[in-house]
Amino acid sequence: MIYRIRHITRYEYQKPVSQCFNKAHLLPRSTNTQRCLERKVSISPNADWQREHKDYFGNNYCYFMLQEPHRSLEIDITSRIDVKPSQPEGSLDLGCSVAEATARMVEAADEATLMAREFLLDSAMIRANDDLRDYAKASFKPDRSLLASVREITQRIFEDFTYDPEFSTIATPLDEVLKHRRGVCQDFAHLAIGCLRSLGFPARYVSGYLETLPPPGQEKLVGADASHAWFAVYSPGDGWFEFDPTNNNMPSGQHIVTAWGRDYEDVAPLRGVIFDGGGKQTLDVSVDVARV
Amino acid sequence: MATKNLNAVPDVDPKIQYQPWEGRFDEACQKSGEIRPHWEYVLNALTQLGPAGLLDRQQKAQRILRDDGANYNQVGEKSKSREWQLDPVPMLIDSEDWSRIESGLSERAELFDLILRDLYGPQELIRNRILPPELILSHSSFLRVCHGLSVPGEQQLILHAVDMVRGPDGTIQVVADRTQAPSGAGYALENRLVMSRILPSLIRDSQAHRLALFFQALRRKLNNLSPNGGTPRVVILTPGAYSETYFEHTYLANYLGYSLVQGGDLTVRDGYVWLKSLDGLHRVDVILRRVDDTWCDPVELRGDSHLGVPGLLEVVRAGNVAVANPLGSGVLENPALHKYMPQVSHFFLGRELSLPSVHTWWLGDPDDRKYVFANLDNLIIKSTHRRAGEHSIYTGDLNDEQRSQVRAKLARNPERWAAQIANLPSTAPAWNRNKSNLQPRPTVIRGFAVADDSSYTVMSGGLTRVASSSKQTVVSNQLGASSKDTWVLASEPQRYTTLRDQQTTSLTGELSSDLPSRVVENLFWMGRYSERAESSTRLLRTTFMQLSAVNSLPEGVRRQLLWSVTAVTGSYPGFNSENKETVADPEPELLAIILDSKRFGSVSSNLHAMLNCTEEAREMLSGDTHRVLSDLRDTLDDLPQQLRPGSLSAPEEALDPLITSLLALSGLTQESMIRGFGWRFLEMGRRLERTLQSILLLRALLVPVLSEDEEEQVLEASLMCGEVLVTYRRRYRSQPELRNTLILLLLDRTNPRSLQYQLDQLTQHLSELQDAGDSTSSSILSEERRRLLEARTLLRLCRPEQLAELDKDGQRSALDQLLGKLFTLMNDTATLIAGHYFEHKSNPQQLVNTRWSDYE
Repeated sequence: MIYRIRHITRYEYQKPVSQCFNKAHLLPRSTNTQRCLERKVSISPNADWQREHKDYFGNNYCYFMLQEPHRSLEIDITSRIDVKPSQPEGSLDLGCSVAEATARMVEAADEATLMAREFLLDSAMIRANDDLRDYAKASFKPDRSLLASVREITQRIFEDFTYDPEFSTIATPLDEVLKHRRGVCQDFAHLAIGCLRSLGFPARYVSGYLETLPPPGQEKLVGADASHAWFAVYSPGDGWFEFDPTNNNMPSGQHIVTAWGRDYEDVAPLRGVIFDGGGKQTLDVSVDVARV
Repeated sequence: MATKNLNAVPDVDPKIQYQPWEGRFDEACQKSGEIRPHWEYVLNALTQLGPAGLLDRQQKAQRILRDDGANYNQVGEKSKSREWQLDPVPMLIDSEDWSRIESGLSERAELFDLILRDLYGPQELIRNRILPPELILSHSSFLRVCHGLSVPGEQQLILHAVDMVRGPDGTIQVVADRTQAPSGAGYALENRLVMSRILPSLIRDSQAHRLALFFQALRRKLNNLSPNGGTPRVVILTPGAYSETYFEHTYLANYLGYSLVQGGDLTVRDGYVWLKSLDGLHRVDVILRRVDDTWCDPVELRGDSHLGVPGLLEVVRAGNVAVANPLGSGVLENPALHKYMPQVSHFFLGRELSLPSVHTWWLGDPDDRKYVFANLDNLIIKSTHRRAGEHSIYTGDLNDEQRSQVRAKLARNPERWAAQIANLPSTAPAWNRNKSNLQPRPTVIRGFAVADDSSYTVMSGGLTRVASSSKQTVVSNQLGASSKDTWVLASEPQRYTTLRDQQTTSLTGELSSDLPSRVVENLFWMGRYSERAESSTRLLRTTFMQLSAVNSLPEGVRRQLLWSVTAVTGSYPGFNSENKETVADPEPELLAIILDSKRFGSVSSNLHAMLNCTEEAREMLSGDTHRVLSDLRDTLDDLPQQLRPGSLSAPEEALDPLITSLLALSGLTQESMIRGFGWRFLEMGRRLERTLQSILLLRALLVPVLSEDEEEQVLEASLMCGEVLVTYRRRYRSQPELRNTLILLLLDRTNPRSLQYQLDQLTQHLSELQDAGDSTSSSILSEERRRLLEARTLLRLCRPEQLAELDKDGQRSALDQLLGKLFTLMNDTATLIAGHYFEHKSNPQQLVNTRWSDYE
């Protein structure tokens, strides 16, 4: 399936900004199941410096600077991505068991498992703790498959938590989300990652998009028309598997990956610094994902 | 052990004695009590000096250090600094011992360079299980955004500093590495320069290796790092005047001939880093940073940092600027790395480490953790991530409760802690002035290596720090340690070398163009504040003299004089006529205007503001200037004592030293400063301020109409403040009268304190500044020059007779109006100059708030 994604971010500043430096994690990466065919980044007013790089996790990002005074900033990114369906839903009684996974993580006999330990560590927005472990542990029986257990915790988050864009901001801490059982896709992804890390399983944050218009006869998914987020877990010896707790499914064909990292902070869509001006600013984001 | 008498010359008395500690390795004494051969010569020489001689040398050393402004700022306490302490007894290392240390340091730097390149590249050390992933990847100084960055040249680690101690068995062991912005090399150099002044023949005859070669190598390396063509512009990036080792930053900048800059002095445009100076932007090619890496770029690192340069990382990534040490190198300071160094050495070099680390455990390792918890009574606990204000914990000093607290802290986040054997460092003799003898003190030596072509050059010497008391186990400058010059003894005489032996190329163009405009702005304000302090001190002195004159002061004069103090210093409400009590008993208010540093306009607050400016412009001021500033600081500290309320016999005398220091300061700027931007703006600041202050004074004193007798006294006071009373008497041979006073104070072009003189000088400065700039624009006057011209014209056209006359209402409205207009014009001029020449950009703000992950 080929998708065309258009992501427009627009800032309006009350007072002119004299200089601006930005790092945008908005360029979909290539993965085992998707290939980027084409992308176009257009920045208005024109950037005085613009480069694309790969980050530590292999994600693409665009760095740009504006050095003339401006009152608005628009980043318009269009990509064409070929996505192959993967991870068919069905029985997940495959891969290693919870007990095996635990043992293999400690042993880390192969390089992939050893390097996956990076995703066990605390990160800026996710700290493993007992509350998260206590919430999750019922789904993780030692002899059950790890992936089936993760599928269950994905479902539990979907059922126990209310999708509520009013409740949280980027800065809402994880324990607040756990306490009030509310949040948005970022929070649910963080929550699942926190649960998995607290139990000793590597998990990473995945940012991306969902198909905006559903195929005829299907319901529109939550999180379309905006950036979306989910997570992936590492099953030792088996590799990484993605889960979407906001929609209670395993991404396959309709999720387009932009970037992954330890948490939101590693792949924040935009991060930057402005000089002068700013004041009250308004932000407008629009996303359109369509089958070509 | 018996007290050992080192005295070789029996007739020197009292004798200097030295007794090492039982069971400790002593640098100077063998177990048997014999002096080690390489210490004999120096100890004998020092012994011959005798206690009085050593005390004298030590005092001389402290005096030199103080004059050089050598200090060490306490963390977290603004403007609190300690004078750098130097022990007159050097640390000695013989050449054989040194060659082992030297090759060990060079090897270690090489290894750390390999580790650095690996961690931010292929991570073979982790993949091959030499280093556990958690050790590196959970460390908050492992900066993922620095992945894949590099500087030109083979090595990435440019500077490496290593703290070493000699253990009880006499072997040297490494206890710590400094890899992101190693400090101490400048202090080592300063120590050496001081020692060569207080003990010149001793240092020569001992054949101590010179330090200059190391700095030559440093300079060569920094120049070679430049990714851009032409003669490279190298700058030293400092966090600012409050950083711990600011002295060293200024010292190195001057010694190496580089500009000292702060984050705000640099800007990123068009993919390059630029230095903002008065004549525009100059490209920066190499940055020697003294700012910790996470603070260097708010775009990609700590978003709340104001010490860095937004965009810096991207410029590094583009290969358009080189930063030394590279960003991200802080990860190598993790003390837990020591544990793995033998394996790392085998992995990279295939051989044993030649300079071992002190035995180290990492609590992230389960076996190590077990060991540490079982042996928590004699270990040094170190955080894997060094933070300002945090010290190592010696568990031997703890009581049970403290120990269980430490245990709990370690258990909570074990991977954040390392433990080292509390190896008692060797002692070396240190001069104890209180007891007039030499006492053993634990020592830590910091060695330095700099990348040079394909290997490392090690400084032949180093910085030895000495514990401040015999009790202390952890040696730290923050805990008040002293230092020693470190002499590596050569087997043959040393050739004389300094930096200047090297073939050097200089940047083209005027020197001052490398001056950040921030420095120039600080000089401008230094001029303004010092003049402001000086003129109010003069006025206060005059006031005290008049108040305590034999004949009691007429009420009108007294009121006028006191009011002028308030008006000139701007310390309202002050001697407002409604504050009857204050006017009746003026002493408390006058003292407050001198001493109360929190009060706006007080002499003390102006002087403090001026001293702060001098800190920011430190590298521009000569050694003599620093001495005058030290004196000034002392005088200021001493003032409250001198001016104790009630003890004022002649308070004006207490102000004399202050005026003398301020005059010395202005004399030095006239006589010793290069006529560049710095000097020009300092001068302009001074002239502007003198203009404004004199206008305020004349308006307060001379406009109100008094009786003839009273007026005479007021005129006398104003002539006194203007330093022209004697001139007046000589010139007019009569009692002061208004017209002539006005001529002398306002119009006389030969009087360097007259208003006209200030305006003439300012006019010249501004026209030269504008002419130096764009030639097409110089035909059109800038705004500030217009104001100035208007003020000057007003003054030229005035008629002193008219100004002195009373109007029909019995007032001196002509004088009042003239002074009022002049004040507005000149105040505008000052504001316009600041607005024209100095940039006032607000601090960067984050577009989207981000979190920076640091511990806790």
